[in-house]
Amino acid sequence: MILLDGVSKAYGSFTALRLIDLSIGKGEFIAVLGPSGCGKTTLLKLLAGFMKPTNGSITMDGEVVASRTTIVPPERRNIGMVFQSFALWPHMTVYDHIRFPLLYHPYSPCKEKWEMEERIKTVLEIVGLQEMAKRYPHELSGGQKQRVALARAIAPEPGLLLMDEPLSALDAELRMEMRKEIQHIHRHTKASIVYVTHDQNEALAMADRIVVMNNGKIEQTAAPEVIYTKPNTEFVATFVGKCNLVPGIWEGERFIPKHFPHEQWLDAGVSVEFKRKGLYPVRPESWILSEAQQGTPYGTVSFVQYQGKEIHYTVQVEDQEWTVYAPIHAASQFHVGDRVALSLQMPIKEKEAVYL
Amino acid sequence: MYPEKSQSEGMTGKSASFSLSFSFSGLWKMIGFLLIILFFVLPVFRLIIISMTEEDAFTLSHYSDVFRDIETWITVKNTLFIVFGSTVVSLILGIAMAWIIAYVNIKRKKWMQLFIFLPFIIPSYITTIAWVQFFSSSGPAAAILNLVPGEWPAPNLYSMGGIIFVLGLSHYPLVYLMTVNVLKKIPPELAQAAQTSGGRKTLIFRKIIFPLALPGVASGGLLAFLSNLDNFGIPAFLGIPANIRVLSTYIYEQVIGFGPSAFAKAAVLSVLLGMIALTGTFLQWLLLKRSRVIETVKNDDKPRVHLPKAKRRCVEGIVWVFLLFTSFVPLLSMGATSLIKAYGLPFKPENLSLKNYQYLLFSDPKAISAVSNSLKLAVLTVSLSLILGTALAYIRYKQPNRWTKAIEMFVTVPYALPGTVFALCIIFAWMQPLPGWNPGVYGTIWIVMLAYFTRFLVLQVRGSYTALTQVDSTMEEAARISGATAVVKWRKILLPLLLPGIIGGALLVFLTALTELTVSSLLWSAGSETIGVVIFNYEQAGFTTYSTAFSCLIVLAILIGGLAFIVLEKFWLRKVMKQNDPA
Repeated sequence: MILLDGVSKAYGSFTALRLIDLSIGKGEFIAVLGPSGCGKTTLLKLLAGFMKPTNGSITMDGEVVASRTTIVPPERRNIGMVFQSFALWPHMTVYDHIRFPLLYHPYSPCKEKWEMEERIKTVLEIVGLQEMAKRYPHELSGGQKQRVALARAIAPEPGLLLMDEPLSALDAELRMEMRKEIQHIHRHTKASIVYVTHDQNEALAMADRIVVMNNGKIEQTAAPEVIYTKPNTEFVATFVGKCNLVPGIWEGERFIPKHFPHEQWLDAGVSVEFKRKGLYPVRPESWILSEAQQGTPYGTVSFVQYQGKEIHYTVQVEDQEWTVYAPIHAASQFHVGDRVALSLQMPIKEKEAVYL
Repeated sequence: MYPEKSQSEGMTGKSASFSLSFSFSGLWKMIGFLLIILFFVLPVFRLIIISMTEEDAFTLSHYSDVFRDIETWITVKNTLFIVFGSTVVSLILGIAMAWIIAYVNIKRKKWMQLFIFLPFIIPSYITTIAWVQFFSSSGPAAAILNLVPGEWPAPNLYSMGGIIFVLGLSHYPLVYLMTVNVLKKIPPELAQAAQTSGGRKTLIFRKIIFPLALPGVASGGLLAFLSNLDNFGIPAFLGIPANIRVLSTYIYEQVIGFGPSAFAKAAVLSVLLGMIALTGTFLQWLLLKRSRVIETVKNDDKPRVHLPKAKRRCVEGIVWVFLLFTSFVPLLSMGATSLIKAYGLPFKPENLSLKNYQYLLFSDPKAISAVSNSLKLAVLTVSLSLILGTALAYIRYKQPNRWTKAIEMFVTVPYALPGTVFALCIIFAWMQPLPGWNPGVYGTIWIVMLAYFTRFLVLQVRGSYTALTQVDSTMEEAARISGATAVVKWRKILLPLLLPGIIGGALLVFLTALTELTVSSLLWSAGSETIGVVIFNYEQAGFTTYSTAFSCLIVLAILIGGLAFIVLEKFWLRKVMKQNDPA
């Protein structure tokens, strides 16, 4: 159990983190998601112990490891870490990399030499590098380096595993493969994981809970499907779900879009912030495009991007541009300049939901 | 905005993440800071004070005396002429060589580079002796000119032109080094982009390459300028016999020839010379700061100018002839002189013997004692700087703040000052550090030791600092996350990775201290002569065969040491870094 209580970090006049409250359960996989500069790396460095918070405290397993006045340095914490750049030591073999934390980590499970050999073997098996033990970093591919970095981090069985954008240095295909690898490791180690990323797909795919951060603050903390379908703030809606923020008027549970005054959209769990601002977050795939009928409001298709499994349209509606993802097998396809009517794929109503 | 991604992580991120790994109490910080001021800065103030006092009272009379003396202005004029002339020579050679090595598709560039850097490891006074032998009446130059019909006297090196020639050749590697780095860092896409925009070759050079390379070229030029200004050996060997004085030799003559009464005049001249040098250093620092923009881009070693085979061979030939002519030929003629029984005899089998070497090694105790003195000095200087310099570099790297920046500046001062000026500072500072207290280092080898340590420490700081910047900070972070304490972290991770950089710095300190002449020529006393001083004294006394023989021994020792280092480095890259290609 890890607790962050009102943690802030300032560099001179710049505040990187403001009043972060967060609890991380045992074995929980937390993804910290946000754009660059949002403070997520600072948060990770605080958890690792590379720096002291300006305010607030961090507690790990009941022990205060960091506060304004005290700090337990990284080498005495029960943690492991995977770096974005892998941070492999060029003068050590794969075997040496795994042995290093077993020798020096304060929570290392191995006392005897044979225990260490056993553990190295197990870890090599987990990451699938049995054949590579004698290799040096420069003799490994990107994916293999990543596996060594993972192996080194999990070898001493730390209670908390920190990952700093571990997949961003890999190519797209390898990233997909390594996602599974990390999930596999998570299941195996039962360690809590804090996984920092700016890629919402990674966060949605792997995490038990996502912490969305912006400007040094937490915007929302929730399970992936909640973050995706019920964003709390404008930032979460646009950053994670790529939502269109449609302006209009809220009348109780009903929303009347400004550009389509005859439509009425139902509240599908829209947060108070949107209601207060007179906005309705619409994800690109929630739109239904159809040919515009005479006399009804319409938009004009300004860009079309064929994506294989779907088509991305940009539709100009008066002064606003909305993004629409239409399935490839939709009834009709449109071209630049076409006039289209937009309607909303209504969430299944309560009544109907019972049937399904 | 706080740099979030580690690629863009600059000094702020580093300092923040390590603020606790090297925190020592304020008191120790204070003591360390004061000691650095005491050793590195105070001597300079002593010099300024002495130039402005007469029997403990403030006066500017020394300045007015010096400025009224016609000799001062002749010396200043000579200095400017020689320094600018030799800097132009260095710039032309350096830029041409850098452009060829960086961009043209010639072969064996690594070997060429090795020869270009030779003047870095062979002290300039030895090069001077070699050139003198090359151009001497019985040397190879005269022999070649004799074959040409007509009267062609060998050029006289004991002249302004001679000094400019040797200085320019000795310092063009500085221009080369700075320029070649910048040229390689200019992304080839920039020129290609200009080409696709319709730019002609000359236009591209004028509008793209040259402006981008300018900070590097200018910075190299300034370095050459400073080295020409600072150099003592070349104008001393070539200028003093011809009565051509430059500021550095003029100060030397004041201190040596006229005793303590001339100290004030020497101090005034030193303040003048020091100010010119520090201004140059400051300008160079500014330029380097501005060229930072392309510093992060990686080197592109691929050739960009593809010459057809015949032309390529031709360029290669010219480069090799130049390199061999400027490095080996003079050394060979020096070697030839050292084997001659009596100076002036022609180079014929019956005139050859090893008796000069025999004299040096067995008869004259001065040579052996000089080698032992210089070795002691170099070893002590290296050991001290290795520890203190690396520690300072580490502190500077981990805590990039105003204090550490000031410390870096302070330790640079003794090196930035011309050697003669700094030697004078050391004399004034340690003759009587506090009124009425004489620690008795003046007149012993210890004052040379002190001077070497303070002057050369910055070389180690820079070497270690560069090594530190080349090891990613995550290497260290990963070790700490894995539970490594400070001792384990240094022993298992940092030292193995930093070693070649640190050793490189130490080797530079060692070589510089071993063959140093300028500072020791002012600080030596009977029994504490260094190698440089002994060679200088032989040369002054006209024992050319001894000075050439001794120089040959030193060059041989340096070359063997250099080769050993290269072999060891290759070994290290293979065995420790496990690299098959030590590129």
